[in-house]
Amino acid sequence: MPSWPTETKYIGAETKRIDAPQKLTGEARYSSDIQADGWLYGMILRSKWPSAKITSVNLDKAKQIPGIKAVVTVDDGERTVRYYGEEIAAVAGTSKQACLDALKAIEVKATPLPFVVREEEAIKSDSPKVFEGSSNSSDPRVRENGNVDKAFSECAAVIEGFYSTPVQIHNPMETHGSTASWTDEGVISWASTQGISSVRDSLAGALKLDHSKVRAICDFMGGGFGAKFNAGVEGVLAARLSKETKAPVRLMLTRFDQALAVGNRPSSFQKIKMGALADGTLHAFDAENFGTAGFAAGGATGGGGGGADIPMPYLYRVPNARSSQRVVAVNAGSARAFRAPGNPPASFGMESAMDDLAVKLGMDPLEFRLKNDPSEIRQREYKLGAEKFGWKEKYKKPGSSGGIVKTGIGCAGAAWPAGGASRRTQGEAQINPDGSIEFRLGVQDIGTGTKTVIAVVAAEMLGLKPEQITVRVGDTNYPPGPGSGGSTTCASISPTVYDICNKALDQLQTQSGIADARGANWFAACKKLGVTPLTVHGQWQPGLSSDHACGVQFAEVAVDTDTGFVSVKKIVAVHDCGLIIDKLTLESQINGGVIMGMGYALYEERVMDELSGVVLNPNFETYKLPGIADVPEIDVYLINMPERGVIGIGEPATVPTAGAIANAVANAIGVRVSSLPITPAKVLAALGKVPPPVTT
Amino acid sequence: MKAFSYATARSTDSARELAGSKGCYLAGGNDLLTLLKDYLVPAPEILVNIKSLPGMSQIQRGEKSWTIGALVTVAQIEHDDEIKKVFPGLHEAAAEIASQQIRNVATVGGNLAQHSRCWYFRHRDTVCLKKNGDLCYAREGENRYHSLFTGNTCISPVVSSLATTFAALDATAIVLRDGKETRMNMAELYHRAWENPLAHNSLNPGDLILRVEIPTARSRSTYIQVSDKHTFDWALVSCAAAAEVSDGKLKSPRVVLGSISPVPHQVETANQFLDGKTLDDSVASQAADMILKDAKPLEHNGYKIPMAHALIRRALLKLVA
Amino acid sequence: MKDSDKDGVFGAHSRRTFLKSLGTVAATAATAQVNSVAAELEKVNAEKIIGPEAVPVTLKINGQKIKLQLEPRVTLLDALRNYSSFTGPKEGCDRASCGACTVLLDDLPVYSCQKLAIEAQGKEITTVEGLAKSGKLSPVQQAFFEKDALMCGYCTPGFLMSVTALLKKNPHPTTDDVKHACAGNICRCGTHPRILAAALQAAGVAANGTTKTEVINA
Repeated sequence: MPSWPTETKYIGAETKRIDAPQKLTGEARYSSDIQADGWLYGMILRSKWPSAKITSVNLDKAKQIPGIKAVVTVDDGERTVRYYGEEIAAVAGTSKQACLDALKAIEVKATPLPFVVREEEAIKSDSPKVFEGSSNSSDPRVRENGNVDKAFSECAAVIEGFYSTPVQIHNPMETHGSTASWTDEGVISWASTQGISSVRDSLAGALKLDHSKVRAICDFMGGGFGAKFNAGVEGVLAARLSKETKAPVRLMLTRFDQALAVGNRPSSFQKIKMGALADGTLHAFDAENFGTAGFAAGGATGGGGGGADIPMPYLYRVPNARSSQRVVAVNAGSARAFRAPGNPPASFGMESAMDDLAVKLGMDPLEFRLKNDPSEIRQREYKLGAEKFGWKEKYKKPGSSGGIVKTGIGCAGAAWPAGGASRRTQGEAQINPDGSIEFRLGVQDIGTGTKTVIAVVAAEMLGLKPEQITVRVGDTNYPPGPGSGGSTTCASISPTVYDICNKALDQLQTQSGIADARGANWFAACKKLGVTPLTVHGQWQPGLSSDHACGVQFAEVAVDTDTGFVSVKKIVAVHDCGLIIDKLTLESQINGGVIMGMGYALYEERVMDELSGVVLNPNFETYKLPGIADVPEIDVYLINMPERGVIGIGEPATVPTAGAIANAVANAIGVRVSSLPITPAKVLAALGKVPPPVTT
Repeated sequence: MKAFSYATARSTDSARELAGSKGCYLAGGNDLLTLLKDYLVPAPEILVNIKSLPGMSQIQRGEKSWTIGALVTVAQIEHDDEIKKVFPGLHEAAAEIASQQIRNVATVGGNLAQHSRCWYFRHRDTVCLKKNGDLCYAREGENRYHSLFTGNTCISPVVSSLATTFAALDATAIVLRDGKETRMNMAELYHRAWENPLAHNSLNPGDLILRVEIPTARSRSTYIQVSDKHTFDWALVSCAAAAEVSDGKLKSPRVVLGSISPVPHQVETANQFLDGKTLDDSVASQAADMILKDAKPLEHNGYKIPMAHALIRRALLKLVA
Repeated sequence: MKDSDKDGVFGAHSRRTFLKSLGTVAATAATAQVNSVAAELEKVNAEKIIGPEAVPVTLKINGQKIKLQLEPRVTLLDALRNYSSFTGPKEGCDRASCGACTVLLDDLPVYSCQKLAIEAQGKEITTVEGLAKSGKLSPVQQAFFEKDALMCGYCTPGFLMSVTALLKKNPHPTTDDVKHACAGNICRCGTHPRILAAALQAAGVAANGTTKTEVINA
């Protein structure tokens, strides 16, 4: 079994992001920066109806707009659109201005249909149906163990709560989209994606081309968070427009489009009843949950095929537990994977219930967790974090903080069962006689530091410096790698690079006759290659990576009980991800997870309008993301466990933040705000300060 | 954004002439370009850049009053050390507006004349009352950001924090209308929005805000707001207060709320009540009660009442601190 | 070939790419003739109604004069990214609410998405491409590099412009000054603590209130 070196120079140290200089100077060309020769601008016309029968789409006037080279419909003939923002047509032209004018000139005739955009309404039997003749709600999926009803009667304390989380939008800074170039040789798609392979495959499928005729390239991309795996309707439209115009077409979504049609995190409405024995042991759990994953949760999948379920009772083993979950279709854009799918809402609901029950039991919430959390790693993390955070000194009974501005603390835990490897990952290296070396892997760096990880592992194995390693990723012409999802990339590529390096050294040593070609001998060994570079192919190897990361976070907040304003003062994040490869980019990911979790806790929410069916906040003005002034001090503690091998971190880091913050708010003000985001309005309402509406 | 012509005006006369009946003035452009990009207002045939108009970019400091040109940027106000001393509330309001990128280009005139931020008005595919439709969606819908007071069916509030502060300072806008200068205090500048859902303010097409005159009579002033986020977020409620203070007593106090009414919300009886009073928690609280007495909360904006109450008390106590 | 292509004018309907190959930023060299023509145009344009069709627009970007043919409605961001090859400034929202498009206009950070290109004539426009001098990162860029104040990097050009402008005006900022200056920039990856640390490091100010990390070995 291979194993990682125990004495390391770069693995576990701080290596600066190798592609940072390109990003810092504007030299990096993101997918949206591609200016292929003769490129055209592309844009999409979307449905302004939340549900409608489209009877005709007249493109004639749009085609007459100066500068317009092609106008296409998504589908010919009559069709039904099922959400506000569904794609109807697309244009390509010589400028953004021409495209905007053309979108205005497309005439769409439609018969509006009844619609429903609220989960609470959609779940009712008499609500309008997203798919005609099919229930909006799936049958409940029930899981049960033990004897739940009897168990509640044995509990010393029982709580009942209703915890809800909104639909969250990915909102990567770079929107979805690509530049597509369709020539006789095939299609090239410069896509802003987390999965070049899945872009190639989905594009080939949609365009009915051989996979070999489609190439996806992604050198730099501006974030994805789970929403950017396939070519998408927009990618296919870009290719079709390119075919029609015989020119490359750049079609990036607008921020407005981004909020409607390319994914989101499902909502959750969690009714939780939970009880514990007198000694604090969890004993009974009964929960119902429903949430929406948008329109696609209905109809085609027979009234809902999953997509909004969350793990319940999450981290804890309750001997008598029942959960019943339903997914509800609404007329809105469908959900996609979003950083630790299912886990942040599960953590928020369950960890809120844990604190509520601890309060009822009269127990310290941390003690209550230590009593019930089955994970040894988390136990250790809680203890360490509590000490660093100063839990014992800071903990006060809920609502007992004095003054108008009350402080409170809370904690919550995370699990991420994936984070392991994609075992089919491959890669290659070319070693040149001059000693330069280039790694080529068909993965992509979505901002997590993938290129840097490759350089660090290679430098370690070859005895070189990371800056001596040339890394090329983001091209389906390279050996296949995984999509960047599930926190699997690091655990997939590190063992692959390890394998490539070992094979390279073997061959180099054989060819050069130098027993150890590493480090000081590297250039001498390479020189012996003569004129022919050495190329080596490698693949993922077992024994160097594993999965299942944990993590716990502690939050301290200040709540202004007059205005309801919540300010997060401090987060202590304790995480593990096996062997640490690059500390610098790893910590950045944890900061990022915490900050995204804070947005989920306090600011973010897709707002649907019941009357018109539109998304009311498809922008950054009213879909609120954390800014630099909102971000607290974040202390990160990393438990290095080299014996576990490499594990991903992107997802677990964002899981527990909202629960920890929500618990801190409840601890501060003595009442629970049980619905995210925790806005000043909801805090004031929880405090009983909001007068009822005046009806006139 | 539809195509338009463009011209740079060198005098107010030519600005009016160039704009005619189908043009718009362009200053900072923050609000205008968003309105045009989202097709929220009838497309203008021409944008007339007014940033070169003479005499409108200065701050004139007088004994009895100061005059701030309509083209003075919000950043200029924020960074003016004398404003910080003479009108601290104006400094505070300016520093909280949006972001530095916006403050660097946003003008006083543009801030006062900006359109509604109601998310139904701002949505390109809802035709609400404010866009000549027949329905205020917010009334029955998502009204968390909306007004507690209004004189008509539309519940979109005024969001100009400069207007809130200018109102507390008893400032007057001087508006060029049909070639003549007209004086409007802040109540007058927004009165039309109180009664007419289509209006954001009382300006007619072609009217041009030239400058704002601020009396120096109130040496104490303050501005505070609460938003969902710490920065770069619209106020849920804002409050400006100004007064002269002698022997611990308020003189000619003004308390004004923003983001809860189509006009800067001011209650004369509360101002009178506070006049001559020594402030304490109870007096501030009574004033807040008076100011919020006729508030009509809807389903989602009732929180603005306790929030505004707190801000009034804080602003008043800050005046005498 | 259209007339506009012949004289090297890049514009809406020419679409000729500047790029010999991807990743190479090329720009047209300014000539004395171009400069004087631009000055004349600026004079003539005053009070004269131009557009709505494309008109000559001269922009001075990172010290170089670039002549474009633009409709008046073209924003500065659009002109930079789509009518020339300055793709450093990014489009994140096109509504003045994310800051990815931030450039300096005469040293002041502004959202280039909410400025008409035609308005930027006669001003010094600095984009992220103009920060590094002769291949050397600026102190702010270097600090971002060292502190890992970037992840996907899409918001980074905007933050760099905000911090650069701040330090020019206020060489010794406090933590709050940095937060105030960067409030108009959004980052979805969550690099804020590192940006704060980098800004303070570039200014040579001791950092507090920023992220702290520690590795605990088994």
